[in-house]
Amino acid sequence: MSFFSLIVKNPFRNKTRTALAVVGIAIGIATIVALGIITDGLKASTEETLKAGGADFTIVEANVSDMFLSKVDDSYVDKVKNVTGVDDAVGVLTAVQPVGGNPYFVIIGMDPAKLSMSGMKITSGTQFSGDGKEVIIGKVAAEKLNKTVGDTITLGKEDYKITGIFETGDLQQDGGSFISLKNLQEMEDKPGKVTMIYVKIKKDAKVEDVTKAIEDQYGKDITTISSLEDLQNVDQGLNTIDTASWAISLLAIVIGGIGVINTMIMSVYERTREIGVLKAVGWKNRRILGMILGESLVLTLVAGLVGTIMGIIAIQLLMGLGMGGFIKPVYAPDVFLRAFIVALTVGLIGGFYPAYRASRLPPTEALRYE
Amino acid sequence: MNDENIVEIKNLKKGFDNGKITALNGVNLIIKKGEFVSIIGPSGSGKSTLLNMIGALDKADEGSVSVAGYDLTKNKDLSEFRSKEIGFIFQLHNLIPNLSVVENVEIPMFERSMSGKSMRNKALKLLEYMHLSDKLTRKPTELSGGERQRVAIARALANDPSIILADEPTGSLDSKNGQMILQRLKDLHENENVTLIMVTHDMNVASMAQRTIKVLDGRIQN
Repeated sequence: MSFFSLIVKNPFRNKTRTALAVVGIAIGIATIVALGIITDGLKASTEETLKAGGADFTIVEANVSDMFLSKVDDSYVDKVKNVTGVDDAVGVLTAVQPVGGNPYFVIIGMDPAKLSMSGMKITSGTQFSGDGKEVIIGKVAAEKLNKTVGDTITLGKEDYKITGIFETGDLQQDGGSFISLKNLQEMEDKPGKVTMIYVKIKKDAKVEDVTKAIEDQYGKDITTISSLEDLQNVDQGLNTIDTASWAISLLAIVIGGIGVINTMIMSVYERTREIGVLKAVGWKNRRILGMILGESLVLTLVAGLVGTIMGIIAIQLLMGLGMGGFIKPVYAPDVFLRAFIVALTVGLIGGFYPAYRASRLPPTEALRYE
Repeated sequence: MNDENIVEIKNLKKGFDNGKITALNGVNLIIKKGEFVSIIGPSGSGKSTLLNMIGALDKADEGSVSVAGYDLTKNKDLSEFRSKEIGFIFQLHNLIPNLSVVENVEIPMFERSMSGKSMRNKALKLLEYMHLSDKLTRKPTELSGGERQRVAIARALANDPSIILADEPTGSLDSKNGQMILQRLKDLHENENVTLIMVTHDMNVASMAQRTIKVLDGRIQN
């Protein structure tokens, strides 16, 4: 028998207590994993929106707390077009309305002549041509709403005829619809306003130069976003989710750590006499410390594994319950790495005190323990 | 320290509860290498405390204790001494319940930088010596009291100690199993030339030793 196999065996002596401790820590880990997957999904989806249709960067209102609350005067579309290096620009208004069973149905208003800048591919029917009550809906929306070309859907208080089905690869857009900018401005009572402006630059131009020129000229009212990092400087929504994610990780460490301390202290109490025997047969203090700390790490690593599986199952359940049309989960390795780092930290912090205590037990007192 | 002596104790004093209880009050004792000594005395006389002092499980308040060349009153970390020189046998076997018989015997060898294979071979040899080869994978709870105590003896021998310290080794056994354990210990002393120090309160058990030391009120009685 190796020292390692002894460490692996010991936590499972009291299976019920170990199982309860594992579940307690695993819930924290599952929350970290699930939140991480959702956050990464939101970031990826937002990044896709920023780069829609091959736009090189996006313009939103300056000092706005959330990108989708941005309101930019649509006169800036023409102003931006005249900036050196800009090839084309299009204003886009976004809105969210409950449609069918989806409370977060995305409606994007865009000039019909510039629809190609959204990067969409019409898979069935045709795109809308003017400012009539026409709509094209995404492939995912068509499936969820069970609608096809020629059917109608109610947006705002009016019926819109579906002229085509599109696909962009962006889950939010594919789960929503496009109508003419004018129609959406009327529907949302935002005349002359757009949420953002997609900008495409000329082949020989550089994004940094063009964004700088725009910021220099119009930086008082609008700001440019060419990367997710830029967005996070502007949009507090993603930062809030990131902060919440870290706060939950910290909470999981504290709660999990207390759980581990409790479990390991109970274990050390129960085995006081045994620890006395180990000292009597010549075990060094540091070996006893290593054994208890190792047991704590085994406990939390098992919890890390269970929590990761629980987190993935929770995400699958949420996707099945309707979130699938809104967020595309991203299973990035760093989320799982973070979960295991948290588990290891919990194990080290929670296990240290019981391990130290066990290692310092005087042998005669330990052997007398009833 | 005389080369023939394995234990030399001078004016050893030990108290508990901040000196309110005196367990040992000026003990002087010499034990020679290869001796079989029994320590006898009533409950609370200090005999187990004396054994714990020789095994470096407790520290002296006053006096000096030298065992197998180690000055136990000066050395701070005595785990190496216990690992190399001492084999403990307790009244209650104190085996680890979730480990098998053979794994229990391997436990002391972790501090000896032995490979897993060497540890296993040594444990198998000791258990064969204790006639327990057919119980290797059993858990302690699946053994009789006598069998458990034989596993404990095998564990005490794992690191080839120069001294075996046995604290009431037959105290929790019936007379038949008790006799068998005593015979094993006696064989061990005769065949392996190991120094055997046994605490007991039973005169019949004590009489098996070459020398009997009587302890009363923390002092050795002449």
